[in-house]
Amino acid sequence: MNDTNGDTHSLLGPYVVGAVDDMDRKTFENHLRDCVDCRAEVAHMSDVIATLVDAEATAPPASLRAKVMEQAAHTAQLPPTVAPSARADSSRKRLRWPLAGAAAAMSIAVAGIGMFLASTVDAPDTSALEREVMMVSSAPDAHTMELGLGSSHLVMSERMGGVALMGLDAPEPAEGMEYQLWLVLDDGHMVPGPTFMPDADGEFMAIMHTDFDGVTEFEITEEPHGGSGVPTGNAVAVVSL
Amino acid sequence: MNSKRHLKVVGDATPVASPTPVAEAARTRSALVGHLLVRVGRGDEAAFDELYTAVAGSVFGVALRVVRDRAIAEEVAQDVLVEVWRSAARYRPEAGSGRTWVLTMAHRRAIDRVRSEQAHTDRLRTHGAKATGSHDDPDTVVDIAHREWEAQRVREGLALLTDRQREAIDLAFSKGFTHREVAASLGIPLGTAKARIRDGLIKLRDAWEEER
Repeated sequence: MNDTNGDTHSLLGPYVVGAVDDMDRKTFENHLRDCVDCRAEVAHMSDVIATLVDAEATAPPASLRAKVMEQAAHTAQLPPTVAPSARADSSRKRLRWPLAGAAAAMSIAVAGIGMFLASTVDAPDTSALEREVMMVSSAPDAHTMELGLGSSHLVMSERMGGVALMGLDAPEPAEGMEYQLWLVLDDGHMVPGPTFMPDADGEFMAIMHTDFDGVTEFEITEEPHGGSGVPTGNAVAVVSL
Repeated sequence: MNSKRHLKVVGDATPVASPTPVAEAARTRSALVGHLLVRVGRGDEAAFDELYTAVAGSVFGVALRVVRDRAIAEEVAQDVLVEVWRSAARYRPEAGSGRTWVLTMAHRRAIDRVRSEQAHTDRLRTHGAKATGSHDDPDTVVDIAHREWEAQRVREGLALLTDRQREAIDLAFSKGFTHREVAASLGIPLGTAKARIRDGLIKLRDAWEEER
């Protein structure tokens, strides 16, 4: 709370009730990141809006439930957002998303093609991962290709907005290295994807949410633990679209 | 529930046994929604079905209030509910109640929709009728306060507002006006519009928070 923010603070009421345009919304949300007082106040005041919304309750059309359930059944869930600090005891996982630095580089790299990977900075839990992989691989428009890393394949689905990797008998990468997925764009740009490690049996699984505009190839490289923002290793597998 | 709202008349002051069943139900449901969201975040489809039952009426209702068209309201409600499914794992219980998370998302989406449907000037002309003295729009804030906002505590809270605060909040909440449009529509300075909205919300919060 300081004086130069006086005008921003005054947006609090309008913000809570949705009476801000996109620019004011962005301004206020930037402010919220730094202002504990406003965050608490917004949380508190938002309950007022919820009560006003509840007071509008009316029976929805009978058709709505079926439509929602049908669409949800074809909609992959986002993984939880995990705070990077809360991971002290995290032992080596089967799969790992790039850490914060790489994620930040990534968010710049991907801005043009509309992905939402960057907010996830650590490993999603395995069951969520398996579910997402399953949703992509069972999508009506799923398209499967050989990956050539042990006995493995890559499945992409426009409809699910994602690409899934699954494999068996994959060789171990070199000491201290992990595999990383890349999207190669038609302008030669390489968009970093998740890193992953085969387990003792050579099994692995990974998922990346993305659209496929301008994507010409998928590539797998070996990268130092935690992944890279730009590829540093040679391609160990390439799939062309 | 739906039939009751039409029985409300202006000045209805019938006392309701306290604590109000509405408040009790709201509290129970609020806790339920939070629990369900956590389960939905793990991909639990049965929990999503229960969550639908708990919130779909409010989600559709607020969409209908704002967009004023059943078909569009149904589309908005569908988008919101699928988004709840998609992003449930991002809900953080420590940041607020699950009910608020879902319902404020619903309100915001409805506003986004009405803004994209209509040009701002168009809405100002249709609803910002104060300057021309038109009373054609049946959904004035008075109607909303006394006829449709059904829960006793909602009415009691709204009754604490000045007419001007109610009017400003209604233009924002029900019509999707930005604070600039509220100011223009009421012919008041921007700072005054912001203050009316905020002061009104604070009064409502104070009136309702002991029941949460």
